[in-house]
Amino acid sequence: MKGKKGAAIPPETVKMKTLECEVLRGSLSPSNTRKFKLSTRHREGNQPLYGISYNFLDSHLFDLFATVGGNRVNVYQCLEEGRIALLQSYVDDDVNESFYTVTWSCNLQGKPLLVAGGVNGVIRVIDVGNEKIHKSIVGHGYSINEIRTQMLEPSLVLSASKDESVRLWNVQTGVCILIFAGAGGHRNEVLSADFHPSDKYRISSCGMDNTVKIWSMEDYWTNVEKSFAWTDLPSKFPTKFVQYPLFMAKVHTNYVDCNRWLGDFILSKSVQNEMVLWEPIIKDQPPGEGSADVLQKYPVPECDMWFIKFSCDFHYKAAAIGNKEGKIFVWDLQSSPPVLITRLCHGTKSTIRQTAMSYDGKTILSCSDDGYICRWDEDTTS
Amino acid sequence: MVSKSASDSSSKAKVSDVIASVKQKILKLEKQIQADRIQYVKEIFQTNRQKLDTHLSFVPADGSNYDISSAEKSNLGNMLFSKIENPLHIYRGIAQGLGDREVFSCQDATYPTSATLPLVEKIPSYTTWIFLDRNQRMAEDQSVVGRRRIYYDQNGSEALVCSDSEEEMTEPDEEKHEFSKEEDHIIWTIAEEHELSDEVLNVLTHYISGTSSEIMQERYNVLKRSHEEKQRPNPSSEEKRLDTSMYLEKSLGANLDSLDNLFCRRCLVFDCRLHGCSQGLVNSTEKQPYASESEDDGKPCSDQCYLQLRIAKDLPDTSLANSSAKIESKEEECSDPISSNDGESGKRKCLTQTSEFQESLTGSSNDSQVYNKKQKVLSGPTEVATDAKTSLAEDDRSSTKLADMDIIEIDKDDFGSSTKHVGSTSSSHDSNKAPVFVGSQAKGVVSSNEWKPLEKDLYLKGIEIFGRNSCLIARNLLPGLKTCSEVSAYMNHDAAAMSHGSTALSNSFFDGDGNVDAKKLEQGLQARSRLFRRRGRTRKLKYSWKSAGHPSFWRRIADGKNQSCKQYIPCGCDSICGKQCPCHQNGTCCEKYCGCSKSCKNRFRGCHCAKSQCRSRQCPCFAAGRECDPDVCRNCWVSCGDGSLGEPPRRGDGHCGNMRLLLRQQQRILLAKSDVAGWGAFLKNPVNKNDYLGEYTGELISHREADKRGKIYDRANSSFLFDLNEQYVLDAYRKGDKLKFANHSSNPNCYAKVMLVAGDHRVGIFANERIEASEELFYDYRYGPDQAPEWARRPEGWKGDDASIPQGRAKKHQSH
Repeated sequence: MKGKKGAAIPPETVKMKTLECEVLRGSLSPSNTRKFKLSTRHREGNQPLYGISYNFLDSHLFDLFATVGGNRVNVYQCLEEGRIALLQSYVDDDVNESFYTVTWSCNLQGKPLLVAGGVNGVIRVIDVGNEKIHKSIVGHGYSINEIRTQMLEPSLVLSASKDESVRLWNVQTGVCILIFAGAGGHRNEVLSADFHPSDKYRISSCGMDNTVKIWSMEDYWTNVEKSFAWTDLPSKFPTKFVQYPLFMAKVHTNYVDCNRWLGDFILSKSVQNEMVLWEPIIKDQPPGEGSADVLQKYPVPECDMWFIKFSCDFHYKAAAIGNKEGKIFVWDLQSSPPVLITRLCHGTKSTIRQTAMSYDGKTILSCSDDGYICRWDEDTTS
Repeated sequence: MVSKSASDSSSKAKVSDVIASVKQKILKLEKQIQADRIQYVKEIFQTNRQKLDTHLSFVPADGSNYDISSAEKSNLGNMLFSKIENPLHIYRGIAQGLGDREVFSCQDATYPTSATLPLVEKIPSYTTWIFLDRNQRMAEDQSVVGRRRIYYDQNGSEALVCSDSEEEMTEPDEEKHEFSKEEDHIIWTIAEEHELSDEVLNVLTHYISGTSSEIMQERYNVLKRSHEEKQRPNPSSEEKRLDTSMYLEKSLGANLDSLDNLFCRRCLVFDCRLHGCSQGLVNSTEKQPYASESEDDGKPCSDQCYLQLRIAKDLPDTSLANSSAKIESKEEECSDPISSNDGESGKRKCLTQTSEFQESLTGSSNDSQVYNKKQKVLSGPTEVATDAKTSLAEDDRSSTKLADMDIIEIDKDDFGSSTKHVGSTSSSHDSNKAPVFVGSQAKGVVSSNEWKPLEKDLYLKGIEIFGRNSCLIARNLLPGLKTCSEVSAYMNHDAAAMSHGSTALSNSFFDGDGNVDAKKLEQGLQARSRLFRRRGRTRKLKYSWKSAGHPSFWRRIADGKNQSCKQYIPCGCDSICGKQCPCHQNGTCCEKYCGCSKSCKNRFRGCHCAKSQCRSRQCPCFAAGRECDPDVCRNCWVSCGDGSLGEPPRRGDGHCGNMRLLLRQQQRILLAKSDVAGWGAFLKNPVNKNDYLGEYTGELISHREADKRGKIYDRANSSFLFDLNEQYVLDAYRKGDKLKFANHSSNPNCYAKVMLVAGDHRVGIFANERIEASEELFYDYRYGPDQAPEWARRPEGWKGDDASIPQGRAKKHQSH
């Protein structure tokens, strides 16, 4: 059964703000310091597209991106003059598969791999160089909501699943290294997970239990290293449970469906029409309920559905997020207080599930429920 | 602020003036705080930003580089590169003048496919779970009661917020306002400038939400105190004291606080997840008899042993007191000891010392003179408690030596050496004898001068455990803290202090040799209590071979119905439980963890089965739904070998077959895709009827919690709840073992049975018939008529859809 994503969530009364929580809230009037121009609108099919992802790993392939929707995984290339070229299209034999997420990874030799997951809970690792499946990894008990790549070690990916766990995999060898779940784990579907950009031990996750958790795999790093040289059956790998997070905070009062590290801060969004930048204040004794210092808020109107994810360029200079009316808000992540760079319009009123920003941030892509892929390029002429 | 002499109007005007100024002040402060905050946010944002930028700058900034060498081509893989040169399709941009309709509108069927992803058999659904080998009590933070939960309908687009009426009634948490630093700052500043009158407080409450003026006033007082504390210099030097000395200052109870709180005396582990922390401490009324060595046949435990003193004393002692007690009492009467050494008097005051005679120092034991003086300065009156005695004969040589010693001692004293002492004669002794000073060195043992609270408590504990045996007390409880002779001295002193108190111990003290008598008394008590117990046992034997506990309770068990499913909580009753016993009132038997004695009538007394192996209702344990307990049952025992290792002789024939949960004598269970629906549990090796397969473990949750979780689980169509007893439900949803995956069947090959194992209810799964290897296991969940979900009533062989593992809430009353 395919899960229909993204119902609107009734809001909960928000508590009175106290003085301490003075938050810098961005204004919705765009600065228009940078302008983007819609250059392509391409309809892939009738199926909603849930995931779109640029390749950041191989500098020769920074113009490649992948989309997922239904039982398809497509690889495109951005060409000049706003054109896009379809390079590869993979179809899952199971017509009931519905992919939700895709990310780029690579093997130890640096050959690009695509990692996709969806309702079946199977992680598909595709060798795009040879146009064939590299591994199909089974393990999750329910659907996979997000897969993210460790940029410092691109064979490692994190998957966030409905089965209440976050799992760390080595896609090269196909082993499940760690499972972040248990006594201190999430109490409902995990919707998003992310690696810390510089601290290789640290990850964050968030989900339908309204919490954001920060985990450390420092104590288990030998297992991570072991996974690279694993030649035996992946099922024999000594997978470890990480039961207690370093930190747990209720920054939001509703489903948290996307979180990304911004340095040591976390940018996360719930279904409350805004992205929130906050500093986790980790207490000494894990597992403890830490506190969060909410610093900045980036309002996004008409964004009260779940499973709407934002994306950043490689240098985290900006973040792009769609809403349920087909608009995209591009926020500057380098300024305090927040500045809205621009607002993009997609043409139809279909919900934009995911965006992708190119490595240099000059191209923005979006994918939406009605199966459209849109491409915006920065207008440098004016 | 408001002068009484002023007229009403002027005072009112003043008040409003004040309020206006306060308001202004608050606004100003708020602005200031906000500006500071904005500044702070900007700063930390930029710091974080810089850190991130520094990190990312290691990565090449821009790699839009199409100049791919041939080596790199092969690295990328031919297929991808050829596709880059020759793509499947190029979609033109809007800029090229194509309208929306013409861009592309393709159906999946017409879409070019470069490769298919072969079908992978997906595994049945499950929520990630943690293996538990024993039940765990739910941690507080796992509760779903009172939490809002949002569901989304998988088919529709509506999200539902589920909160039933019962939940809404629950605690509208009295939220305590937590003052932020900024709020404190405002309160403080305002209060410093204006008196906190009602008006001012009112203004403040207006600005700081969620408070009242009383709370505000209170907060101000708190701030004031902390402010004052800050002003005071920190007595940091005191804090730097050694950890050990800090422990010593605390009482035994305080030191053992964490032990008592964290250590589970039932499971013998710290931080027990089953019984939790801070269990009521139950002290057994029955003391373990301690096979104490008689002090007379005992050898001195060390050179600090009080027996050394005794040896020294006994030899020459004739006219003087035969017992230390007499000396003690005499010495108590005596005035302050004469100090022959002028230099010593001052120093002695701050020391509590025990001096002890060393034979080697005097050269001749016959001539030895010991003055053992114990001076408790801090407790006010100077008391002398000592085993000291003078010798009848004194030789010059010895005293010269002693004098020499004395000098050395004084030197040491000047250097702050803590463990020496110059004794003095006691005036109660032969007056014609010249006072002799004996210095002593506490060899190797650094004894502190006074008895710290912890030492006192340990000493009392030692008396409780070992009786008045200073050797054992010093060795086992006060190693490195007090020497045997010190303990002995303290014991005597203690007894003297208690002499008015009429305890048995102090009485015995005056009977003569306090030590011996006290010990005898103690031993007598122990012997009696042993005797008492033994009698109890014989009586029990006579009582019935079925040997039930409480008669009325026994009947209930014998009926086979109405099996007690009440949670057992150990009672702390003394000796024999009466009507007030919580166990009795609760309707449970007393168990070995209760404080009451073994002869308590409410105790379940186990079985005496000899040959039945306790596998039938003939065995009272079995009939009562209990496992046998080697601590309680007469013939049920645990061996760890064939006897070759010298294990105790067997008490009965054959093995007890009713300790299988306790001993974890379980079968290997395999987890695999069920033939019926979802996951299933399978058996690795064949078993016979009534064989124990394994335990159904999970989180212990309250019924209230279970009701709430049940509603959540029903939505997911997957429930692992299992009624355990009146207090708890087992939930194996996130924590459990493989048996949670055994499916329901109305014609099952297994049955579940709640057993009482060492005071805890546990669920065992047993074979209902002979089961062959690798057969799937089923048992009857025993749905109540109102509990069975629709699908559970369908006939067997029905296949559910992927999300529904037919698990349900099982009922507790397992007939067997």
